[in-house]
Amino acid sequence: MLSLLASQNPDGGWPYLRGGPSWTEPTAYVLLALMAQGSVDEPVQRGLRWLNAAQRPDGGWPPQPTVPQSAWVTAVAALLGPAALGGDAYRRAIQWIVEQTGADTNFPSRLRQFLTGQSQADPGWAWFPGTSAWVTPTALSMLALRKAGRDAHSAQILPRLQMGAAYLLHHACSDGGWNYGAARALDYDAHSYPETTGVALLALSRQDSPAIRKACGWAQAQLPGCRTSEGESWLRLGLLAHGQLPPNTPRPVRSPRTVQHAALALLASAAAGGRNAFLEQS
Amino acid sequence: MSGLNRREFLTGSAAGLAVATCARRSPARGEALVSVVRRPDYTQELYGDLRRVLAEHRLNVRGKRVLLKPNLVEFEPDTPINTHPLLVHAALEAFRELGAEVSIGEGPGHRRNTLDMAEAAGYFQAIPRFENLFTDLNLDRVAEIRLPSPHSRLNSIYLAQSALSCDLLVSMPKMKTHHWAGATLSMKNLFGTVSGGVYGWPKNILHYAGIPGCIADLYHALPKHFAIVDGIVGMEGNGPIQGTPRRAGVVVAGADLAAVDASCCQIMSIDPHRVEYLRLAVGGVEELVKSIHQIGEPVASVRTPFELLPEWRGIRLS
Repeated sequence: MLSLLASQNPDGGWPYLRGGPSWTEPTAYVLLALMAQGSVDEPVQRGLRWLNAAQRPDGGWPPQPTVPQSAWVTAVAALLGPAALGGDAYRRAIQWIVEQTGADTNFPSRLRQFLTGQSQADPGWAWFPGTSAWVTPTALSMLALRKAGRDAHSAQILPRLQMGAAYLLHHACSDGGWNYGAARALDYDAHSYPETTGVALLALSRQDSPAIRKACGWAQAQLPGCRTSEGESWLRLGLLAHGQLPPNTPRPVRSPRTVQHAALALLASAAAGGRNAFLEQS
Repeated sequence: MSGLNRREFLTGSAAGLAVATCARRSPARGEALVSVVRRPDYTQELYGDLRRVLAEHRLNVRGKRVLLKPNLVEFEPDTPINTHPLLVHAALEAFRELGAEVSIGEGPGHRRNTLDMAEAAGYFQAIPRFENLFTDLNLDRVAEIRLPSPHSRLNSIYLAQSALSCDLLVSMPKMKTHHWAGATLSMKNLFGTVSGGVYGWPKNILHYAGIPGCIADLYHALPKHFAIVDGIVGMEGNGPIQGTPRRAGVVVAGADLAAVDASCCQIMSIDPHRVEYLRLAVGGVEELVKSIHQIGEPVASVRTPFELLPEWRGIRLS
């Protein structure tokens, strides 16, 4: 936690790598991690001010303030909830997320899928507007929408959550987990990644099915040999959400390489202690 | 059309239409020097090889900032998926001996954990103080670059500041076939300079804008470049991730990335005239091929046909 505080930039935001410029994604993850520890101190307030100032008129957040385009990081920011962001800012963010779908579900794409014999895509979420849906932005958007709970937009939220779950289940790899979102590449099976499997399991936390149990099994098998701190954190968060983190699982062994990964490690630790910031109601 | 399935027909039609509408003529080319070095394995001889190559090309890099840009794709140390760390270290030493200030940078397309991938690929072991030399280009500062005459559907693109501000960007790809571009060599390797922090993982905007056109756009957007291709053990078939090893036993280098890629294609038994990104980037591939002044091993003596997926058999050198 001290290293996270030490890496805050003078402008109030956080960089991916200490000394770099502030980006929305690490700023939102660090704030989520600090708030999960109960911190509402001055660094958190400065971080929230940076985040509020970076919000765009359309309700979304850009990856970095110099990029004039709202993107997937909106979902990470929205995880902070209305109390932190302010009611109006939060509602506009949720509305922005609800309105996004991957470009692979628009009419020209569906026509191309039909002509090339591909199965029709389920509407997930893209990293960047105008591109296809992928696993991580879909999972993060689902988490943000679910956290919105009984918000006024719930009539729009529930169908999107169902579509997101269908997208994730449709894009699982044959080994049981998830990679970035291409389970097959030109008729060849692709393998799963720890980090994407963990975040997908977290997003599917209230569901149970043979596919999800298979994914939990893959995640459990990967955890001991996981080669990244990010992968360890997401696997733990995903397995904890399903009550499937094996007892006596050793502590994480990988050192976080980035500020964001340090925040994720803190969030996974808080979840192991019973406080999962991704699943708490706003 | 009896020999084509629906996907092959649609892919071929789209590629033909794109080339017909987008290809443009380039100004007359000067001579393009391309070095082809026979090196059967990753051994200490690489250090001498690269010193000789840089001497052949008379690079004046004293006091200049050189960024080596290898190709890091996946956590698969036992497959030829990543540029070999020994080649990168040999390049680092060779440029340093010429007085350059050398750093290393990469921004992978699918995986976010670049340093962990570099560690798994052996970079930490092979290159002293690797962490201090390395920049994750996906998380670097960004600058928006306008594309005044784009070949893709992009009008501008966010690139890593380290790739834009260096005096020489050295593209160090693995020699591979590629299931969307035919081949992935020094020009396609420039995708790693596009900011993942802005566009995500994968950098899907490049697919939507057209992969061959984006390769051509990056080639022109990053003009201060040099190429050193790791063709000692490449990848054939369903590259760039799921292919199989193919030992070509060569290192190919030069200051004109298009000329280097055309030479690599010939080594792989791919017809450079049929590689769309080359046609978009330089206009006349015939002129490009004629401009190449090959030194070192003749292409014919190192030719190693790379297996192509059925969709790509049309680019086979006849």
